[in-house]
Amino acid sequence: MSALEDTFATFISRQTGASDATVVSFDKLSGGAIQDNFGLTLDLDGGNRPGRHEFVVRQDAPSGVAESLSRPQEFRVLQAAFGAGVTTPEPLWLCEDTAVTGQVFYVMSRAAGSASPRKLVKSEFTDEQRRALVRRFGAELARLHSVRPPDDSLNFLAKPNPDNPALSRVALYRRYLEEIGEPHPVLEWALNWLEDNAPEPGPTVLCHCDFRTGNYMVSGDRLTAILDWEFAAWSDPCEDLGWLCSRSWRFGADEREVGGIGDKQDLLDGYREVTGISISPAIVNYWEVMALVRWAAIALQQARRHMSGEQRSLELALTGRMVAQMEYDLLNQIQELEDGNDQST
Amino acid sequence: MINRPETRDLLAEARQVLLDSLVPELGGERKYEALMIANAMGMAIREQELREAGEPETTDVMLSRFLAGHALTEESGQGEQTLARVLRERTLDGGDRELRTVLRAMTETRLKVNNPGYLK
Repeated sequence: MSALEDTFATFISRQTGASDATVVSFDKLSGGAIQDNFGLTLDLDGGNRPGRHEFVVRQDAPSGVAESLSRPQEFRVLQAAFGAGVTTPEPLWLCEDTAVTGQVFYVMSRAAGSASPRKLVKSEFTDEQRRALVRRFGAELARLHSVRPPDDSLNFLAKPNPDNPALSRVALYRRYLEEIGEPHPVLEWALNWLEDNAPEPGPTVLCHCDFRTGNYMVSGDRLTAILDWEFAAWSDPCEDLGWLCSRSWRFGADEREVGGIGDKQDLLDGYREVTGISISPAIVNYWEVMALVRWAAIALQQARRHMSGEQRSLELALTGRMVAQMEYDLLNQIQELEDGNDQST
Repeated sequence: MINRPETRDLLAEARQVLLDSLVPELGGERKYEALMIANAMGMAIREQELREAGEPETTDVMLSRFLAGHALTEESGQGEQTLARVLRERTLDGGDRELRTVLRAMTETRLKVNNPGYLK
């Protein structure tokens, strides 16, 4: 038994009051440049959770990005989402004592299925299965968006300022570009477009801010968990809807607007069934443009970590070379939106 | 100095060996890493080819002409810097057709290196 699995097993047996914990399996899970995720299956004797349990332990990795939450903050967001009925892993125990493993970590239940985008996008779902899955995404986001400020347990999340999440985002991404210190005319141009075309803000709600294909688990045709909550923020509900529909997350299935899985109208129908609110596809289109700018800014930050020597990595370096794709998509998508507006007037 | 075969040839051959002989033997994380290496090598090859064809210079000239045509002073060979700055300052009309042509040319030149398959 490695020192780390022993430490986690001991921590969990203390939390549950188990008299003994036998490690059945322990492995480092793939994905997560910002966190390390470990799968841990234990047989627990006695205590309040006797029997075999599959857990995931999530702790900080050496690198991070500017806007991500700390592990305790992420744990509280997960608790809020789970409490609102969102399909997430059950958040179980947070350990803020760095004397235990050297890092802050938390433990959650392990969901069944796969989060692999390529596998999911290539799945031979029927049209009905696609519709059901995408409607479910809408319903999940609707439940998440029922969490609204003020919420004492989430008081670390900044409120958008000046009370318009879209313009707050524009200001934030301009600041990111300034910090990166490289000229990116297409991104500057797109930010101007976003500033000029900002829609009336929706309500301010708890947003996942990284809900996309690759960050949820599916078993068969069933959604089993929404993962990776480190970017959660108070924002406009359409930020989540736009991010999920962004061209960057369709993994080659461009004709299926919702994460390469299905149609936008089904997503919005699923959202409406829970909230009673009909979201305009035009506002989601706007937030898709925002999503491209955001992903480009994050990719530039990742490349900078490599170039600065903070974290030399081929993957981070190649991510920097992906920015031209987002810029190309921005040029095309803004043009298409403008052409569509011309045709409708 | 004559030093043959040329760097581009060496890189292209090395990439082919990696893809044809090594990648099929690998699985999981190692295969992913090998594909990333092949991807990076492909970029280096294409970048050299485009440079030899003078394509980046053509885009730079287009940008310089655009800036001059809009009475914008280019900061010594820093056309992109200048364009990004004036866009940030909002002294250019974002709907300007010529501006969009320049932005597209710059982006497509980069994509021809980074991921030519992405161009529609």
